[in-house]
This record gives sequence, C-alpha cells and structure tokens, in this order.
Amino acid sequence: MTISRRERAEPVVITGVGAVTPLGSGFDEIADNLLAGRSGVRSIEPGRYAREAVQFAAPVTAIPTPPADSCGLDVDAFAALGRLERLCLSPAASALADAGLPRAGGLRIGLVLGLGAEHLKTWELDFLDGGDLAFGTRRDRTLVHRLAVRLGLGGPAITVAAACASSGYAMALGRSWIDSGWVDACVVGGCDILSPTAIAAFYNLRALSRRGDDPARASRPFDADRDGFVMAEGGAFFVLEKRSDAARRGARIRAELAGVGMSSDGVHMVIPSTDPVQAARAISTAIDDAGVAPCEVDYVNAHAAGTPVGDVAEAGAIRLALGDATDGIPVSSTKGMSGHMISGAAAFEAVACLVAIERQAVPPTVNLDRPDEQCRLDHVPHVARPHRVRVAASNSFGFGGSNLCLVLRAA
Amino acid sequence: MTCILESPRPAAIAAAIMGHAYVETAASTLATLRDAPSPSGAPALPARFLRHADEHTVVAMRSVLEAIAAGAAVSANDRVAIVAAPCQSGRVLAARSLAQLAVGGAVTVSPHLVPQASLHSVAGAVSVAFGWHGPHLGVGGGPDALAEGLIAAATLLAAGSGCDAAWLIATDWQTEPSLDADGGPTGDPVCRSLAIALVPAAVAGARPMLVLDPAAPAVDHASTIDLATLARAITSMASAGEAEPWCAECPWGGTLTLVPAARAANIPFLRASA
Repeated sequence: MTISRRERAEPVVITGVGAVTPLGSGFDEIADNLLAGRSGVRSIEPGRYAREAVQFAAPVTAIPTPPADSCGLDVDAFAALGRLERLCLSPAASALADAGLPRAGGLRIGLVLGLGAEHLKTWELDFLDGGDLAFGTRRDRTLVHRLAVRLGLGGPAITVAAACASSGYAMALGRSWIDSGWVDACVVGGCDILSPTAIAAFYNLRALSRRGDDPARASRPFDADRDGFVMAEGGAFFVLEKRSDAARRGARIRAELAGVGMSSDGVHMVIPSTDPVQAARAISTAIDDAGVAPCEVDYVNAHAAGTPVGDVAEAGAIRLALGDATDGIPVSSTKGMSGHMISGAAAFEAVACLVAIERQAVPPTVNLDRPDEQCRLDHVPHVARPHRVRVAASNSFGFGGSNLCLVLRAA
Repeated sequence: MTCILESPRPAAIAAAIMGHAYVETAASTLATLRDAPSPSGAPALPARFLRHADEHTVVAMRSVLEAIAAGAAVSANDRVAIVAAPCQSGRVLAARSLAQLAVGGAVTVSPHLVPQASLHSVAGAVSVAFGWHGPHLGVGGGPDALAEGLIAAATLLAAGSGCDAAWLIATDWQTEPSLDADGGPTGDPVCRSLAIALVPAAVAGARPMLVLDPAAPAVDHASTIDLATLARAITSMASAGEAEPWCAECPWGGTLTLVPAARAANIPFLRASA
C-alpha cells in the first residue's frame, strides 16, 4: 500500500468558519436552511440595466457588521465600504472570531482570497455610480491587501482565480502555505457579488436559467428540465492551521482539510470537456491525497450548477473517479438552494460539507423532480437525508476548464 | 535593496529557471500578433484562437511561445502548473462593454467578457491553447501581481502540491493607458509579458534560481517588482553569466532573490519536491 501525501504531513484543520450568503449568515443559520431545503433564489429589482423585465438571483439581503475590534471599523465606516469588500470582510472577520485566533501574539497569518473578477466588478460599480475608473490610469492595490491590513494579518496575502473554483483553490494554496511553514495559520475563502453586467454576460452566453416565472424553482441541478444556473452572491472564509497548533491552544477543530486535487481540461474557455478524465483525475487525486478509498467517501457535494452540459460531464467524472463505490455514495448540489456564487461557490460548498459532517445529514438537491438519465447518481432530492458523514468531497469546476476537488474529514 | 546572499530559512523555496522570454508589444501591433502569435520554431495555435482574447492574453501567449521556441526545458504533462499574474487585465474589454451597456443596454454586453477578461483568463487560455492538464491559476490582478504570482508558483512547486514544474506568466501595460469613450487605448501603449518556466531547484542542474523566502521579516515600504527589471536580470544571468545575485522585497515582507547558476550550487538548501 502506498502512503498518500497527507499521511506524510501533519493534518491541516479548519478551526474557524464565517459565511454571508443567500441562505443566511453564520454557520448554524446556514446549516438549518440547507437541511430544510430552503431556497435563497428570488426576484430582484431589475434596475436600469436588467437583461429581462423579470430578473432573479440569489442575493445577500444583509451583511453583518463585524465587531469593531476585529477590523477596526465602526458601523458607519463599515457601511461606507464597497459591497465586495463588505462581503469579504464580514465573513473573514467572523472566521477569525470563530477560531479565536490571537492576532497580537506574533502569529504569522496569511490570507488567500479566491476572487475572479475584482477589477471587473470595481470598474463596473464605479461606472454605474458615474465614475470613470475603467477608462483612467489608476493602479490601486487590490482588495486582498486592504483586507489583510484591516484584519491585522501579517503574513503573505494573495488573490487567486480559477473562475468558479477560485475559493477552492484559495483553500488549497492556504493549506500548502501551512505545510511549507510559511505561515502559522491562514485565512482562506472567497466571495462574489451580483452586478448587472455579470448577469447580462452570463445570460448572453446562454448559461443562465430563464425561468423568470418561478425563481425559486429555476435552479435545478441534475434535473432533466434544467436550463442553466442562477446567479448568486456571498462569501465564505475559513481559518486553517496545523492540528497540533489548534490542539495546543484548545481550539475547536471543525474538520480536517484532508485532500486536494487539481487539474485542467485544456479544451475550451467556456464549455466543460465531455471527456470526464481530467475532472475525474482531480477527484481521484483529492481522495488519494486524503488517504481514503472511494468507498470511504460518505458524501459528494457536486459542483452541478444546473447547466445542461456541465451536470452530465460532472456525473460522468464522479462515476469514473469513484467507480463501483459510486452508487452507495449520496451526491447533492446545494446550488439548487444557494444559486451559484461564482468565486465564492467552492468555499460555500465546503461549508455545506462541514454541515453534513457536523449534523450527520446530507443537504438535498432541491427542484430535482426528474433526474436526468445521463446523470445517474445516488441523488438526495428535495429532502435532507440523515447519514453518517465522516468524509465529504466537494467538486468545483470553472471556465477555462479548471477542476478542483476538496476532501474534508471529521476531526 | 542591498542583496546579501545568505543561507535561506528552512521555509524558503528555490526554483530553477528552465527558460524564459520577455515580450513588449505596442497596441498598434497587437492585431498582427493576435492573428499570428507563433514565432518560428514554436507550436501553432488553433486558427483564430486569440480572436476574442484580451491584450494581456495575446502578449502572454507570445511570451510562452517564444520561451518554448527558445527551448524552455519543461515537458508538458499533467503535473505542470500555469500561474498567470496579470496587472489589470481585461480593462479594454471591460471599458468597451461598459460603454456599450450605457448606450445599448444589457443585450449588448459581450458573452466573452467573463471568460476573456477575468483574472483566470490568461492562465485558462494558455492551458486550452496547449491542451495542458496541470492546474492553472490567475493570481494578483493589481500592481503586486508579479510578487503574488511568484508565491503562487512557489506554492505549487512545494513538496506535496503534486506539480513538477510551473509556468509563471506576468503581464502588464508598461504604463497604464487611458481609454477613450469607446474603450479603446489612447496613444500607443506597450503591453508586456514575462514567461518563466520553473522547476524545483533540487531536480535541476546548474541553472539560475529564484529563491523565495515568504517568511522574511516584513518591511514598511516594499516597492513593486517591475517585470522588465526582473526580465533583464534573468536574461543577464542566463546569457551573460552575470555573477551577482539580484534581490527584491515582496509586499508582505518576503524576499525574492535571483541567484546566478554559478553560485546556486553552493547554497546549502532547500526543499525538494519529489
């Protein structure tokens, strides 16, 4: 038997989580909503630049102000920040508070932010507000560096992007930083916000659902009648550290980030490959990295966004990677409830895996009335399934053919 | 900064430079490059592959192709990572889309905006163009992109990340151009790209090395690492046998040292990625 990479390294664990999403803020609220099958998709104000008269998405309705001692901002100062910054700062500060990590004790804490379109969003929101940043010559430092300063983090800080897998790659890199001894702990995650141009661009790409008559039923992963995904916004962040460090300071260990697998299709800038080999390689690598066999995976949180091509490709990849074990492993996509948070999706879905581990139940795929014959899996339609979950895998796939799988293991 | 070559800390990582290319292209000549990006001796790309690509992607692609044509010794396999670190890429396409949005509404927004003008787009295009299956990442996005790209590439080369090699591709406009009301660049700005093929130092022979020490003490005012300056330093070491190391500070306080091949063998380090 070969020894996996992770068996040779000290486990890296999650000691803090923070999230602000269409399904609420804070772990317990999100867990309750996920397991109750509640949808965050709704009609939204169409605005001047709406693509259709009826516009729908999964918005964040409230962004909690972090405690002033966590980021040095009072309520007014926080409210004055841009929406993208607030949607990063609030959950990141919550994750640090959840971890109880001291920032004044000389710990070197890094920050890896998964965010694929910071400048596009910044230029657009400025433009819609009457500005001309997109047309000018300014080069401001990026959000991740402002966040690091506000949160009092003294380690390396970088932004990474792999389209819809961005925040998952942030988690992967953060784990490597801890493995390498570059940081003592690392804040990792990602976020995204809704904007008119993004909605229009995805709509014009024919990637979005057009079920404006029934928004809450529009996001239909794996369903035979799916017609595209539903845009969402939100952010989720984690604190990672070595298990021994967490144990030494008596921190609550939520789970181990046990496996990471990465690959690229290398086929198309938009359309996922119909050949499942590379996506399956990411899944297999993550499972191997975690040192478990496919039959030991208790739950798969699928990327499945509800696109006709993508869901079929992923089902094939799961089956190829898990082999004979596939039919005994429950698979669900939480995007039926949350919509697709783009850069924030992978981190949010890691939260969903934590929910499955902590609550011992698999969140459902809502709106899965008639499973697509080409997506034969052990689906969990409509209603959460009580289930022993010790090992959960989460898939994320993005434009450009980015493939990522994370494996979380109960502490 | 004064560059003193000393034994790096245990957490430092060294990567050997297996090839590189630096490209500067004026906006007025980008159309030609877009249509015919491959130099002699480089692989041909699929026809019209770059027709919707951002300027940064066009120049990045050329730099990778030139490095390959010059013999960058990195085999293309499933364990080669691509890290692209553009500074404010996608701005021309974004500005054009916003200008069109204001006049024609959402129906005019290009479907190519997200796939071609996002932070991942340069790396994604390189991955697709060559059919490479290792992980690809966009990194940075702002004036610190090169430093962020270096640490990301080093991360992927570190033991346990599953990568044998990495391409680091940094791009920017030499001077950020102002754009006209339709989103077109004014004047004739120069777009630049530096492509570097890297492998863990422990598996390479005598090559110039990049040593990244992410845990070096923080400094108050690290300046941005200029990619033309780094390109000159690498070229100098690779072609003229330049003997002096070159150093820069990273924005979070880490240090980057470029070590000549002649001295690389004497550094008692470092991490091996097996």
